Amino acid sequence: MIGSVTRALDSLLGRGEAAVTVPPFDGALRPNRLLDEAAGRVPLEGVDCLAVHGGELVASAAGGVFVRGKRGTWALRKSYGAAVSCLAPAGEGALAVALANGEVLIEGGAFDGRRYRVGGSVTCITAMVVSGGQLFVANGSATNAADQWQRDLLERNASGSIWRLALDSGKAERVADALAWPSGLAIDRAEGRESLVVSEAWRHRLVRLDAARPGSRTVLHGDLPGYPGRISPAGDHYWLAVFAPRSQLVEFVLREPAYRKRMMAEVPPPYWVSPKLRAGRSFYESLQGGGVKHLGMLKPWAPVMSAGLCVRLDAGFQPRASLHSRADGATHGVTSVIEHGGEVLAAARGDGVVASLPASALGEDA
Amino acid sequence: MTPIVELRNATKEYRGVPAVKDVSFTLERGEVHALLGENGAGKSTLTKMVAGVVQPSAGEIWIDGARVELGSPSEALGRGIAMVYQETSLVPSLTVAQNIYLTDAKHFHRLRGIYIACQQFLQSLNFPVDPTALVSALGAGQKQMVEIARAVHHNAQVIIFDEPTATLTPEEKHQFFSLVERLKLRGVSIIFISHALEEALAIADRITVMRDGQHVVTDVTAAFDREKIVRAMVGRSLSSELYGSHMDRRARKAGAKVLSVQNLSMGNVVRNTSFSVFGGQITGVFGLIGSGRTEAAKVVAGVLKRDFFHGGQVQLNGRPVRYRVPRPAVRDGIIYVTEDRKIEGFFETMSIAENIHIAALAGGQTQARAISMREMRAIANEWIATLNVKAINADARVIELSGGNQQKVVVAKALVQKPKLVIFDEPTRGVDVGAIAEIHQLINKLADEGIAVMVISSYLPEILQLSDRILVCRQGRIVEEFEGHKADEETIMYAAVH
Repeated sequence: MIGSVTRALDSLLGRGEAAVTVPPFDGALRPNRLLDEAAGRVPLEGVDCLAVHGGELVASAAGGVFVRGKRGTWALRKSYGAAVSCLAPAGEGALAVALANGEVLIEGGAFDGRRYRVGGSVTCITAMVVSGGQLFVANGSATNAADQWQRDLLERNASGSIWRLALDSGKAERVADALAWPSGLAIDRAEGRESLVVSEAWRHRLVRLDAARPGSRTVLHGDLPGYPGRISPAGDHYWLAVFAPRSQLVEFVLREPAYRKRMMAEVPPPYWVSPKLRAGRSFYESLQGGGVKHLGMLKPWAPVMSAGLCVRLDAGFQPRASLHSRADGATHGVTSVIEHGGEVLAAARGDGVVASLPASALGEDA
Repeated sequence: MTPIVELRNATKEYRGVPAVKDVSFTLERGEVHALLGENGAGKSTLTKMVAGVVQPSAGEIWIDGARVELGSPSEALGRGIAMVYQETSLVPSLTVAQNIYLTDAKHFHRLRGIYIACQQFLQSLNFPVDPTALVSALGAGQKQMVEIARAVHHNAQVIIFDEPTATLTPEEKHQFFSLVERLKLRGVSIIFISHALEEALAIADRITVMRDGQHVVTDVTAAFDREKIVRAMVGRSLSSELYGSHMDRRARKAGAKVLSVQNLSMGNVVRNTSFSVFGGQITGVFGLIGSGRTEAAKVVAGVLKRDFFHGGQVQLNGRPVRYRVPRPAVRDGIIYVTEDRKIEGFFETMSIAENIHIAALAGGQTQARAISMREMRAIANEWIATLNVKAINADARVIELSGGNQQKVVVAKALVQKPKLVIFDEPTRGVDVGAIAEIHQLINKLADEGIAVMVISSYLPEILQLSDRILVCRQGRIVEEFEGHKADEETIMYAAVH
């Protein structure tokens, strides 16, 4: 009773859970234009996930896996007949390929050609990571497919789960559930203990799951100003792809269930008030930030529903530096970022481009 | 033609410290003369000499070709010089009309008569203000209008506007500019102090730039652009000698996020502003007066309240907090070191030991119900030694100390509470050079110890010298962020005024 009165008051006064606020991009997340100024920019329509397989850089796009040639161009390596939802290195010379139908395939290595099904309800694989013959699989949602992520956010779901798949036996077990769109996984071996770090997109945070006690969750970094996605290790640090920024407008809509319901029923998905991998392509889209254009110029500081952001995290998963593409940039919707051969490569799905720049471009940590 | 106002080699000293040094200034009849400069450049002191509020220590004031001595504002008003202050000087418990007619020679007025006359007068100025309204019920913009109307009513030939547009809405600003045009057509001369360079460039005939109490340049407006004004405002050599080069030092790495301010709003002073403060770093906040930097910090510390409806959120170490009074903020480790130490910083007639002990009690650092004088003095002596406070002993009254030592007592009061976040607001205002270095060392030491430190200052060299990261505040918002060792004065000032 008291709880519902408090909630009603909070909703009226705009405080507590109903505070429509968004943390700023500052400190290590201070905006720059490094992604847009990247020397290497190779188009790959629908690029989603990057991985290194056998020393080569591979990328998933649409229904296939592409490999980067010596001249930097992308060539189709293999088509799968279904959309590839993510890739991950799976041990010695092996690559795990997750398909939109929920299957996981292994290319190369000891389990070459094996096909796995993680569970009957797992059809939204967003990220994978391997550790000692076990593949950890993130299932973003129990009810929506990977490409329906906007719907999942607007439904305010928290039905994501993490599964452990034994590659030799094919046995799968759920290690965590009730996650709000788990979209990135990493293994942390700090202090001699192995734990799983998950980026939970709709709760804007990175959480640590203890492998021994999956029920216990520790927030490593909370209240990010964007929706965190895939995580990739790079020596003593990690890279985090943030696929869309948060905005006050979206936060407001998320607190209005009747409006959301009607919008999803009556408005075509491209015009929803929701985060996007690329915004501003149609004048039917809602005004973003209310002041995007001033005197006919697109203001780079205006808050928008899409942007490009890669965050370098230290060994403790705290942001240290970042790469940005701003409102008027052309590297939006970064869904995957990895460091390979002295380069940082960002897959900008929103603009269908892979941007690469020297790892040294960031200089020292912020 | 004889200038209507002329200052010849005017100097004004406060306790031996010159606020204005050997400045000559002329105001022609019917001209709008903009007076620009950083905070503390001496603009207000200069105009206060013209308005009779302060008297020059040396130099001469000439009005209409005759040398005069202005002993009081009413004497200046008698000679047709009126000043419109940034903080209005109206009587809040009187009506608009009563305020306008307050200093008239006539002793008795019929209220109905002055309301009708005032209504017509305000309409002639195109000011939408009700003459029967109490001044306390008016908004900042309307108070400004009443202040202006009062100056016009007294047939002032010279009107000095000190930051007239700081509190006005865009519509009210537009009205103000057309009023200035009309006053100019009537032959009224105007001195216009503003931090908004575009306003000065738009309405002034001539511009004078001051810096460190001295005259830098005077020329017609056409000879200036924004960049030239900014360069004249900040191009000091004295400061770099005093503070050294900030480029030589290495910025500290950010620790954990201690404070996260999200979309904070307070009236039209703090407008949807967001920023973060990290542990082990000094976050400098630069902004001109009226930019909302102090108010935002005061909301964080519970001194002021944010907007009741959708006023934003403050998070301390990831936990949402909202303080309606400072006490819980102090208990949570947020300390605000005030810019106005005489009013808010200490009890001036109490001793150093008592002041420090009160702070320790407020911060919950001592649970003792009965106060031991010996313990109180021991704590105070420790801080006197740590901060090198120059006082006879811990029983010396704070009022007897110099400005620098008073500030050290304020700092001691903050540190005795074992803070997690310290907000210094103008930490070296009115402090001598020797004490400035000591206070800076102390602020650096706090950051080195891992405490989150926020320094608000309108003195650019201080911000550059201290800050690991610099936030620039303008019109109630944080508009830009710079890395401390890479920023320069011109870039920061550009962000603050554009």
